[in-house]
Amino acid sequence: MARGPEAPSLANAVLAWCVAGFILAPLIIIVPMSFSAASSFEFPPLRYWLGHYRTYFSSADWLQPTLNSFLVGIASSALTLLVATPAAFAVNRREFAGRRALQILLLTPMLVPSIIMAISYYSVFGSLGLNQTYTGIILAHSCVSIPVVLIAMSASLRNLDRNLERAAAICGATPTQSFRLVTLPLLRPAFILAGFFAFIHSFDEATISLFISGREVSTLPKRMFASIHLEADPVVAVVSALMIFIAVFAMAIATLLRQRRQPARA
Amino acid sequence: MSHLHLRQVSKRFGAVQAVIDATLQVQAGEFVSLLGPSGSGKTTTLMMIAGFEEPTAGSIELAGRQVEHVPPNQRDIGMVFQNYALFPHLSIAANIAFPLKVRGRPRAETEAAVRGALALVGLEEMATRLPRQLSGGQQQRVALARALGYQPTLLLLDEPLSALDKNLREQMQIELRRIHRQVGITTLYVTHDQAEAMTLSDRIVVFNRGRIEQVGAPLEVYARPATRFAAGFIGDSTILDGTASTAPTELRLPDGTTLHTAQPLHTNATGAASLLIRPEDFHLGEPPAGANALPVQVLSVLNLGPHLLLIGQHAGREIRIRTPVSPAALASEGSTITAWWLPAKSWPIPPA
Amino acid sequence: MKPGIPTWLLLLPAVAYLVLVFGAPLGNTFWMSITEPSLGLQNFETILTDPLYARVYLRTVLVAASVTLLCLGFGYPLAHYMARRGGLAAALLLGICGLCFWISYLVRTYAWTVILGNRGPVTAVARWLGIEPPPVLLFTTTASLIAMTHILLPYMVLTLYVVLARIDPNLIRAAHSLGASRWQSFTAVVLPLSLPAVVSGCLLVFIFCVGFYVTPTLLGSPRDMMISSLIANEIEALLDFGSASALAMMLLAAILVLLTIYDRLVGIDRIMR
Repeated sequence: MARGPEAPSLANAVLAWCVAGFILAPLIIIVPMSFSAASSFEFPPLRYWLGHYRTYFSSADWLQPTLNSFLVGIASSALTLLVATPAAFAVNRREFAGRRALQILLLTPMLVPSIIMAISYYSVFGSLGLNQTYTGIILAHSCVSIPVVLIAMSASLRNLDRNLERAAAICGATPTQSFRLVTLPLLRPAFILAGFFAFIHSFDEATISLFISGREVSTLPKRMFASIHLEADPVVAVVSALMIFIAVFAMAIATLLRQRRQPARA
Repeated sequence: MSHLHLRQVSKRFGAVQAVIDATLQVQAGEFVSLLGPSGSGKTTTLMMIAGFEEPTAGSIELAGRQVEHVPPNQRDIGMVFQNYALFPHLSIAANIAFPLKVRGRPRAETEAAVRGALALVGLEEMATRLPRQLSGGQQQRVALARALGYQPTLLLLDEPLSALDKNLREQMQIELRRIHRQVGITTLYVTHDQAEAMTLSDRIVVFNRGRIEQVGAPLEVYARPATRFAAGFIGDSTILDGTASTAPTELRLPDGTTLHTAQPLHTNATGAASLLIRPEDFHLGEPPAGANALPVQVLSVLNLGPHLLLIGQHAGREIRIRTPVSPAALASEGSTITAWWLPAKSWPIPPA
Repeated sequence: MKPGIPTWLLLLPAVAYLVLVFGAPLGNTFWMSITEPSLGLQNFETILTDPLYARVYLRTVLVAASVTLLCLGFGYPLAHYMARRGGLAAALLLGICGLCFWISYLVRTYAWTVILGNRGPVTAVARWLGIEPPPVLLFTTTASLIAMTHILLPYMVLTLYVVLARIDPNLIRAAHSLGASRWQSFTAVVLPLSLPAVVSGCLLVFIFCVGFYVTPTLLGSPRDMMISSLIANEIEALLDFGSASALAMMLLAAILVLLTIYDRLVGIDRIMR
């Protein structure tokens, strides 16, 4: 490839890869850490073993929060999809007064700092008896996931060719048939992707969980926070490494889904 | 009684009059092109016939039924979209079966119809493929097969060839004519390509600024355009403006030259009138008796292969002349030549 | 085509949910800020007059501004390189940035506790270089600054990349053909065209940073609190719901001001594009 003036300079390349290294290195360090034999945070580790993995997989103290996080993540992403999908259709497909204002309103849960929501839920759920319950965390996580689902669904809805629905109509399909046979199958990857994003958003959420999840329904991030903050428990490295593996896996799936959603154009 | 009948159909989008008083009758089995530049109202008209837009005024009658308020899925129309709009998640066969499936036709009938439609467009071996595995031309044929497979009462084609390259486009034109002859379905074809409209259609509907300017057979629209726009949009043309002389078939140019025509002029209130001459009707050399002749200053000579196009001017008006390749014509750039034509070869059009 | 389901019905679930689960708790916090322990503005009076609070605000703004500048300084070269380089390298770098959105900020914060800890690589390198005693980084504002930059950098990079990648390379070729140097074509063509993205990225990072809680709490100095930690502290340590709510409302007001600026300059609904 000829290096035209539009190609980046060498200095730019060096700087860019350094920054990329800065982004990536801390994530890579976690993995050997999780196999370390030391009893606290230390890098590079002196000896390697699988002991911390054994501890993680045999300790109810860690497995219960993991299970809780999965339960909350699945339930809240399902709830968010249910609530936000019709709105995504309305905002992208319909013209109505105040559309822009509504779009902004639907995005605000993402932009308001979690600490504000955390103390707000803490006091409201306290008086409703929802603190330290699954219901409470699921409700809160669904709320802050609405913008995530909305953004993911909007991208797909905009990419969906309106002529396909017109073609279905002219072929004789009723609006219901058109939705069931054309729109829905074409949006299936988008639903999965949006649900995935919402799940990750809930699975990673720490601040609100710290305040409202309590000990009974403690989520994984809350348990990790406590570990890093108070105990310097090396099992955190195991959990972190597992979460990185899951993230890489999830991203691979998401990339595949995105490729399927955008077939090669003729 | 006509198969499709538009009566004074109008469509307004806010302040924009997209279609104004369109009236059109299409006979069963006819191939009619809606021709015009973009924004001329041809696509809006098609969308109203398909049912994706509702007319602001007027009525649309299809196969003896008032349809302007009928939803598109109940109109029994087949349509090929500009980008084909094949369902990307369905196989070719499933795409073609879709209209029959949503109509709840029996399985055997559907399968037979899919086989027939695929055979019609010559893509039998592609049945199990997905649309994205096909070339542009093949996708085009599938779109056509899908629109014909359920034997609708009307076929709409919305600039279906515009995405194809030139060679493929010509091939598809031949294909379209063959299929139309074979199936005999009433067809409306939207295009902005006048050559395409000329090749394919039984009749052409010329749209301009939301209005239908002329409806006629291709050769008729070419030889006898009703309006200045139709004259300019279809084919190459030279238009000479002047004033009516005492005789109704005499035009006086601003420089005093008098031209004769076989038809009475369209004269407006101020006495202005215009004549259209097609480039192939000009001849060079000594004019015979009774012919119109003009001195033309040749500005450029374009070699178009089988013939030359001379672009010149007379008294500030552009003159376009098509002539066989000859040394004299090739050398004429920059000089002034005499061009002549027979009075019967000039057609009166309304003045500007 | 006539729509099947009325628009208001499509919007109802989301709007109702937001009103009940988003608006109502926020409203309650506002109510508490003016009624706990008694009706009046005394909570706001305290937090606006006490110099202790003022120091926290100032520190929060300084930290957020530093993080924003660091993100811009690191993010621009990376985004620019990705946009101009294209191809596999850009895809790879884009993947690295994208991966960060899938990895919990808690995991990334944890990584920094290891790296900056007194048995981590930074200390080891300092010792090896003969710096004794090695610098203490963990539980300092520097530590939270580094970690927050790391966490927010991908947002900046992606915001910049989207716009930089859309700049037609022919514009740069044109600038060159007209006699501009590499640097001139960057400052005269690319930089001005990417300015909206710079503004958008900076505001986004600043807004996220001002409200950051977990990372400063885990990495920062307990003495150098930021506003989020202060809010949490009022509740956890002092059980003072009134002043915590008032602080939260102050923070919310500040965020709303920033969002209004963002909306004027960029348009919040553009986030959906």
